[in-house]
Amino acid sequence: MIFDDNRAFVEALRRSGDLVEVEKEVSWDLELGAISRLACEKDGPAVWFKRVTDYVDEVSVFVNPVATWRRIAIALGLSPTATVREIYEAYEKGEGNPIDPVEVREAPCKQVIRKGADANLFDLPTPMLHEGDGGRYLGTWDLVISKDVDSGWVNWGMYRFMVYDAHHLTGFPRPTSHLGKVFQDHYAAKGKAMPLAIAIGTDPLSHFAAAATYALGGDEASLAGGLRGRPVEMVRCETSDLLVPAHSEIVIEGEVLPDRVGLEGPYGEYPGYRTGEMGNGILFRATAITHREKPVLTVDATGYKDDSSTVTALSGALAIKRRLERHGVPVRDVYVPPEGAVHLAVMSVDYGGQEVARKVLRVLTSRRALLSKLFLVDTDTDVFDMGKVLHAFSTKCHPANGIHVIHYEGRANTLTPCYSQAERASQKGATVLYDCTWPGEWSREWETPVKATLDSIFSAEVREKVLKNWSEYGFKQ
Amino acid sequence: MASSSEPPAWDTFVRRPADVTCGVETPLVLRDLRPGRAKYGLRHVVGVVHEGGGPGDPLAVRTVVGVALPGAYTVEIVRHLPQEIAGTPYQDFYAALRQAAKAPRA
Repeated sequence: MIFDDNRAFVEALRRSGDLVEVEKEVSWDLELGAISRLACEKDGPAVWFKRVTDYVDEVSVFVNPVATWRRIAIALGLSPTATVREIYEAYEKGEGNPIDPVEVREAPCKQVIRKGADANLFDLPTPMLHEGDGGRYLGTWDLVISKDVDSGWVNWGMYRFMVYDAHHLTGFPRPTSHLGKVFQDHYAAKGKAMPLAIAIGTDPLSHFAAAATYALGGDEASLAGGLRGRPVEMVRCETSDLLVPAHSEIVIEGEVLPDRVGLEGPYGEYPGYRTGEMGNGILFRATAITHREKPVLTVDATGYKDDSSTVTALSGALAIKRRLERHGVPVRDVYVPPEGAVHLAVMSVDYGGQEVARKVLRVLTSRRALLSKLFLVDTDTDVFDMGKVLHAFSTKCHPANGIHVIHYEGRANTLTPCYSQAERASQKGATVLYDCTWPGEWSREWETPVKATLDSIFSAEVREKVLKNWSEYGFKQ
Repeated sequence: MASSSEPPAWDTFVRRPADVTCGVETPLVLRDLRPGRAKYGLRHVVGVVHEGGGPGDPLAVRTVVGVALPGAYTVEIVRHLPQEIAGTPYQDFYAALRQAAKAPRA
């Protein structure tokens, strides 16, 4: 089943037992954030807060939509028990069959329209998610739409925004992000404000598309259509010509100012830390807020094992695989484990070695270097099984010859917790690759160690006999 | 809105503890800590910070990673600055704030 809006998805989660509905009144000021954080850390269900202090009976809050593989599977129309590999395959299939969006004239997100001074950002129960954050963060589970004024390319992304006052937000789309680049190159450089729309609470797969690691110039709206198997319905904004998903719960329209600034951050982000990114972002002036009746604000309680880590684990892994294939790396599978907070990837290759290792490092750090730890494994290691990956790392990675490092400046991930404040300021960083493959020049007959597992160290005859008689030996599974 | 019946209380963020300058007019970003819908709204001011029970409203000081400094501070607001500060996106906001504080008053 594919969902046309957030409400249908919430209903599916209720049916599958992956939702907690909190009827007790909960404060948006830290209490909601603390509950939601713990739910993430426990791999718990999504949470729908029905009664939020100061906003009771006006707006509710739905938190952690897809922070587990079960909920990702449900969003993709799969069984909740689908394996990670099956989820990857379903995503890859949808990604390969993009469907363009369609424009509609009437939309649920236009049920209430507030413009100008009536568009008050404090009318939304934006939670204070973590104690010590710079502000209340809106847009942790959003879909931000912008347009390259020169080429007409429309970009969808998922970017954080902090409520500054009744009519302003500040944000920190990385300068190297698609939004950051378009704004700097095509608007700020020309002294022009950039129209922007922030859609909150769309169907889950549209949010997937927004969060996807996709090539510059890629069409995320068509990717969303491909994942859904049918087009996303879009409606025109009230104060710009941008199109937004018609079934959004809330849409905030406005513009990013080319010559005005506000304080942004710090904020407890997806790496699981508040790293001290503060001050140097962008300023957004709201021009309209439109929403459904009794809208539902969607939120990702960012931190360890949050929604963005899980979604990026999916789309990021496929993007890495495609990139490596294009550059001739003999890659088979890629996994970006959510626990690695989009800083770590595991890749299986037909063969490793110095040349492949250096190439992987170059390819994956040439524009944006979000990943800082890479593991290269042979194809007999299941990249989705982190126990097996750890075993390969421990036993096959040569402590001197198997470690490759590349250094860079101007494109490092400024949210990486282990970087110093000075490194963050200059976007200076490094990526390490651990080559956990056997050297290609080692003889397989007499030099390469033989793995001591049932699959590898016993003859087919012995294996088959043991497997056939397994239950007769007294084993239950 | 933040409750106007509550006495004012603020906090502010600094990059380094040494950035807290007491007893002189300083450009600041203050966050409104009064309860209500507008809690945590930010405003730009020039104010005088006092340490250890001086005049003005209670002020908490937080660092770049959001940790509250242990000292007791107060702040006297001298004047308000515009909400939209002139500056270059992705450049140092505090430099832009200092520049705004130097601008001739309207």
